[in-house]
Amino acid sequence: MNEIRSNAASVKFENVTKRYGSFTAVNNVSLDIEAGKLVTLLGPSGCGKTTTLRMIAGLEMASEGKILIGGKDVTRLPATDRDVSMVFQSYALFPHMTVMENVEYGLRFSGVPKKDIPQKAQAGLDLVGLANFGHRLPSELSGGQQQRVAVARALVLEPQVLLFDEPLSNLDAKLRRHVREEIREIQQNLGLTVVYVTHDQEEALAVSDRIVVMNNAVIAQDGTPRDLYEAPANAFVADFIGEANIFDCEIEAVSGGIATVTLGPVTLKLPARGQSPGKAKLAARPRRIEVAKARTPNTLPGKIAKSTYVGSHAEYVVSTDRGEIFIISQDVDHVHAPDTEVGVAFARSGPVLIGA
Amino acid sequence: MISRKLLLAASVAFGALSTTTIARADSVTLYCSADEAWCQQLARGFEQDTGITVDMTRKSSGETFAQVKAESANPKGDVWWGGTGDPHLQAAAEDLTEVYADSPMRAELYDWAIKQAEASGNRTIGVYSGALGFGYNKDLIAKNNLPEPKCWADLIKPEYKGHIQVANPNSSGTAYTMLATLVQLMGEDKAFDYLKALHKNINQYTKSGSAPIKAAGLGETTIGIVFLHDAVAQTVAGFPIEPIAPCEGTGYEIGSMSLIKGARNPEEAKKFYDWVLQAKVQEKAAEVNSFQIPSNKNAKVSDKVPDISKIKLIDYDFKKYGSSEERKRLLSKWDNDVASLPQ
Amino acid sequence: MRAANSPTGLHPTVLLWLAVGWIGYAVLPWYGLDDNFFLLGWLTDGYPLNDDVAPALFLNLQGQKLWLAPFAILLALPLLLYGRPKNDPLFGKLLMIVGALGMAWFFMQGFGIGLRGWRFEWLNLLFGKLDDRQFGMGYGALLTVTAFLFMFCIGLAARGAVGGDVFVVSSIGFVIGTVGVFIFMPVLQMLANALITPEGNYSLGSFISKIFSERLWSLGCFTGTRCGVALNSLFLAILVGVLTTLLGLVFALVATRTGFKYGKLLRALTVLPIITPPFVIGLAIILLFGLSGAVTQFVSGVFGIQPTRWVYGLPGLLIAQILAFTPIAFLVLIGVVEGVSPSMEEASQTLRANRWQTFWNVSLPLMRPGLANAFLLGFIESMADFGNPLVLGGNFDVLSTEIFFAIVGAQNDPAQAAVLAIVLLFFTLGAFYAQRFWLGRKSYTTMSGKGDAGVHPRLPAALEKILFIVAGFWALFTVFVYATIFYGSVVTRWGIDHSLTLDHYVKSFSIGRTEHGIHFSGAAWSSFWTTIEIALISAPLTAAIGLITAYLLVRQHFKGKEAFEFGTMLSFAIPGTVIGVAYVIAFNVPPIELTGTGIILVLSFIFRNMPVGVRAGIASMSQIDKSLDESSLTLGANSWQTFRKVILPLLRPAILAALVYSFVRAMTAISAIIFLVSARYDMSTSYIVGRVENNEYGIAIAYSTVLIVVMLIVIGLMQLIVGSRRIGRRGVESDQMQSRTNVSSPVVQPSGAG
Repeated sequence: MNEIRSNAASVKFENVTKRYGSFTAVNNVSLDIEAGKLVTLLGPSGCGKTTTLRMIAGLEMASEGKILIGGKDVTRLPATDRDVSMVFQSYALFPHMTVMENVEYGLRFSGVPKKDIPQKAQAGLDLVGLANFGHRLPSELSGGQQQRVAVARALVLEPQVLLFDEPLSNLDAKLRRHVREEIREIQQNLGLTVVYVTHDQEEALAVSDRIVVMNNAVIAQDGTPRDLYEAPANAFVADFIGEANIFDCEIEAVSGGIATVTLGPVTLKLPARGQSPGKAKLAARPRRIEVAKARTPNTLPGKIAKSTYVGSHAEYVVSTDRGEIFIISQDVDHVHAPDTEVGVAFARSGPVLIGA
Repeated sequence: MISRKLLLAASVAFGALSTTTIARADSVTLYCSADEAWCQQLARGFEQDTGITVDMTRKSSGETFAQVKAESANPKGDVWWGGTGDPHLQAAAEDLTEVYADSPMRAELYDWAIKQAEASGNRTIGVYSGALGFGYNKDLIAKNNLPEPKCWADLIKPEYKGHIQVANPNSSGTAYTMLATLVQLMGEDKAFDYLKALHKNINQYTKSGSAPIKAAGLGETTIGIVFLHDAVAQTVAGFPIEPIAPCEGTGYEIGSMSLIKGARNPEEAKKFYDWVLQAKVQEKAAEVNSFQIPSNKNAKVSDKVPDISKIKLIDYDFKKYGSSEERKRLLSKWDNDVASLPQ
Repeated sequence: MRAANSPTGLHPTVLLWLAVGWIGYAVLPWYGLDDNFFLLGWLTDGYPLNDDVAPALFLNLQGQKLWLAPFAILLALPLLLYGRPKNDPLFGKLLMIVGALGMAWFFMQGFGIGLRGWRFEWLNLLFGKLDDRQFGMGYGALLTVTAFLFMFCIGLAARGAVGGDVFVVSSIGFVIGTVGVFIFMPVLQMLANALITPEGNYSLGSFISKIFSERLWSLGCFTGTRCGVALNSLFLAILVGVLTTLLGLVFALVATRTGFKYGKLLRALTVLPIITPPFVIGLAIILLFGLSGAVTQFVSGVFGIQPTRWVYGLPGLLIAQILAFTPIAFLVLIGVVEGVSPSMEEASQTLRANRWQTFWNVSLPLMRPGLANAFLLGFIESMADFGNPLVLGGNFDVLSTEIFFAIVGAQNDPAQAAVLAIVLLFFTLGAFYAQRFWLGRKSYTTMSGKGDAGVHPRLPAALEKILFIVAGFWALFTVFVYATIFYGSVVTRWGIDHSLTLDHYVKSFSIGRTEHGIHFSGAAWSSFWTTIEIALISAPLTAAIGLITAYLLVRQHFKGKEAFEFGTMLSFAIPGTVIGVAYVIAFNVPPIELTGTGIILVLSFIFRNMPVGVRAGIASMSQIDKSLDESSLTLGANSWQTFRKVILPLLRPAILAALVYSFVRAMTAISAIIFLVSARYDMSTSYIVGRVENNEYGIAIAYSTVLIVVMLIVIGLMQLIVGSRRIGRRGVESDQMQSRTNVSSPVVQPSGAG
């Protein structure tokens, strides 16, 4: 009884919309989160990711649509009555209670027998490695420790879903990496359903089973970290996750799922990804583009505009008639000087077609 | 749940205070429109003599009249003692007070007290009277080398400019008594000419009737037009005030008493009514520096009380000048013809 | 793993209120009792069958007051909900219908049936004459109507209002209900009087002629006669607003920007006007500057100038009100001056502005909201001030006193009082909106919540000098006035006999010994204890309703929130005289019969001081991160538990501040009180007024001095309690929280002196 278990449940959004007056924060979003997975909501500020999270928590009520947790309709249920816990960006530890009281807080309202509460809370603190900090006040802890108390406080309730709202944004860079690994570890060990909001793509890529990228109140793409990085669905995702050069291109023909793409003098064969002939866009990561000798066949002619040597690699900005292209080259032995005429070549795999 | 707590708190709080005043055994609620000390003396005296508890509220007669009227649907007071007679007459006219014609004390009272009762259809009765006059601050008169005023006519002399205070007749019964007195003394037209001349000498129309003599006592004005007993009280209290009964003659007020209609303790109220008219009760007023003339003929009078036999009193027509219409007419005339003039 | 609510039996909250309703209907006496309910004397007075003490059920069973019988039916209906869960459509609908019908019927029977049968002629025509009467409602009625109100709210919540939160919906319902009954109803009843002619008819014409009359709007003072009352008030209020704001700014700058070491002393001075009973400053001014005042005599003796009565009227009023209200402006402005971000000023200096240019172009404009707020407070305070005009007004009539005399004076004209009240309300509300409009367009936020490492630049040297001179002069003057007050209480008779004596204190506060033990024989004891009792009862209630309202305003979103805010803040703009008259008119007859009781005093304090609690609550609640409540909610606590376990403990400083302010204001209020005191419940201030009327300045001042000391002790105790309680937060932050609570609470100080 006194260890922390999981009651992981799935979360489902069916055409959920949230409006504040005339402003639409979340627009007709449908979403399926499997039990036991860690799913990240990622996007720039104001994209609707936090609103989505708060709707799962019951802190905001959906204007339209349906929300199900563990298959049960909770759309109209307030936060109190949902079996969901949340870790806040500011941690929201109650300053007038000790660490122990903070962790016990939720247990007192959840029908846990009184005598079990201290043990359960202690188990929670053990889990986050703060076994001996129970008597302290939150103000006497470091940022990382406060963060862990917040996690313990949410965990001991064994919620169906655990929510994190930018939990690492108040920590310094080193601690951030450490804590996110711990969160991932606990999630995997206990098999929790976790929904995690962040605007940091690296963090998202590192911890998630799945990432939901949001932009302008809608889902831009929903997939595994690798999907998103390797095969962004659109220019926004391509640019938001890692850096990408976006080109206008022409699809000449599609056969057998392979598209023939022309980009000025360059012709490429790429997976069509459902695109049909006509205008399209091509996304290429800086590392998936190479600087070749000028007038190499199947390259874009250009001129080095900027050249930076950064030790582990070299960075170039090449100006072409298709605009400026950002390239990262592993070849640090032969650094091209500015104004050198070059050709820009595309790696065989890596560049992806995205919708026009 | 919060509401439950609130309710609890509220009910505890309300409970502590919810002693409403509906007919408690052996108590009477007295509205008293005289000086606090006098009111206290009466209330405590009655309690001592009869064992009936007195709940006393002291308010000016105007305030009390307003209250009695406001409460008329559900009266809280039983008996209203003191204050100038007009509001009592007005209350009688508006049927706010009770007829009581067979008090055993009537026989002992002066005629003017009985006349007051008759004017109201026996709804009120005179308990004391006081003549109108003025008082001056001797120190200030000397300091400013002013002649001592003796008559109404003196007050409009230019040397008194800025030295005289009187209440505004719109808010004070005392000042209205002066207005009505002058009209009866001089005739209406001449009285208003007089008031216009007086207006130039007035430094302030106060709200309350006795304020002018109190200001004079403190040296804030030289002359105050008030009831003489108020002036005497200041003298007795040690202020350099000289009370003057105007040589031309003057009007007076009859301090009155009424039983409130629909009272919750009518029996106790009547007991108080009869008790307070006794000579031995009225005599004691001087002990608390109230120098009005008692209405009981047998009451011994303090030597400080202005000797009524030496004052020329006009035959004041309380019925006419106490009536609402006449009052309104005179007041609006005063407002338009006098108050609006530059000083 | 969260415990699911199983729909067995009746929903517990419904059960609770149903029980309350039935207790009100069937157990407690329905009508008001003669004696104190809590003395339980009614149990032996023939309960439950005797008419006077019978519960409604027993009255009905005996065939009396049959109009109460429908309550039984309404109270039975919720039983239909047995076994139904909260989300059953019938649940919400039925509760709403029962609640609404219950309340509607309650008020219909309450207002329809009066002391003498039907209240309205058409009811006589419709139903024939009623040979029965209504009394004032008692505890039974109170419980029953409360139960209906909350059932309605539960129903509303079940239908999804405000996220289905019963606590929040019920709180909103409770606040609206009480504010409606105790502010709007009486004020509207009183204002309706404005339309009544002396003959008792309703007439728009007489209203219009009154409201545009010469007496209000005459410009005579420019041509040698007198100006209208309304213009006098307006003129005075604008002057006082501007001057107190300027002086307040001077003090604030001195305290924060000049390296002045005694800032704490200055802050201490600011509590003085809050704890000074009305009249006292006015009296002191007369004793000093009146025709025979000490200063006047001295000056005329030295320079041979003929003494005059210059102090009566506008000059005296200005001095007294500026003395009284400058500290309030200071309190507002010191927060604002401190709040201007130093980095803005540093930025200005790095952009080559000198100290003057920085002060003039950056610092001062950033203080605009504070300046506007300070002006508004001075303006409203002056409009509502009642005590000072009464003693110092001379021939300079103002609205607040005119209202009083329209009611109590020989003219006795409630219609005129109502008209004057409307004009006064128009001014105060107008100022309110003008301020909002003025501030509406720009953002002045300079506090980002993040640390600001900058340092405020020093002021220009010349300005600093001027500030010191002005502040020093005024501070000395204040001290002088208060010293005068104290001196006045220990001399036999000011101006006549200056021998020292403690007579005034002995006369008011002597304690004697009789065979029964200690006897409080002083004349002032009775009103003193009543005042303390009423103040002690009303303070926590004021704080409670104020904080709940603040919680709703800061933390909840619901339809009509703006109107709700306006309603709860309205009493802030209503002068006390208006409230006093309105209460007498509204609560003298059934269904709510409270005149002559202590309850009416408590109620008037609660609803007049409520904005203090609201402001204090809003100020400190905005400092508490909203994620604290949210995390509590996601941890399974409901909003009531969150309010109690998280918000209330963190609001402790604000609660104490609200408690003390409402306590102190209950002890110093006069304008509303003077209409509401009764024989048994006389209050200190009305007693003091009586002494002043009687020229017994010594006693009045001695009494006031005692009150000042008592309030100082109370405030000191509060500071001790607040000071010793450290919330486990970073020190700086909680410090800030406190100082800001202190600053913002008196923002609603106005109408206090009134």
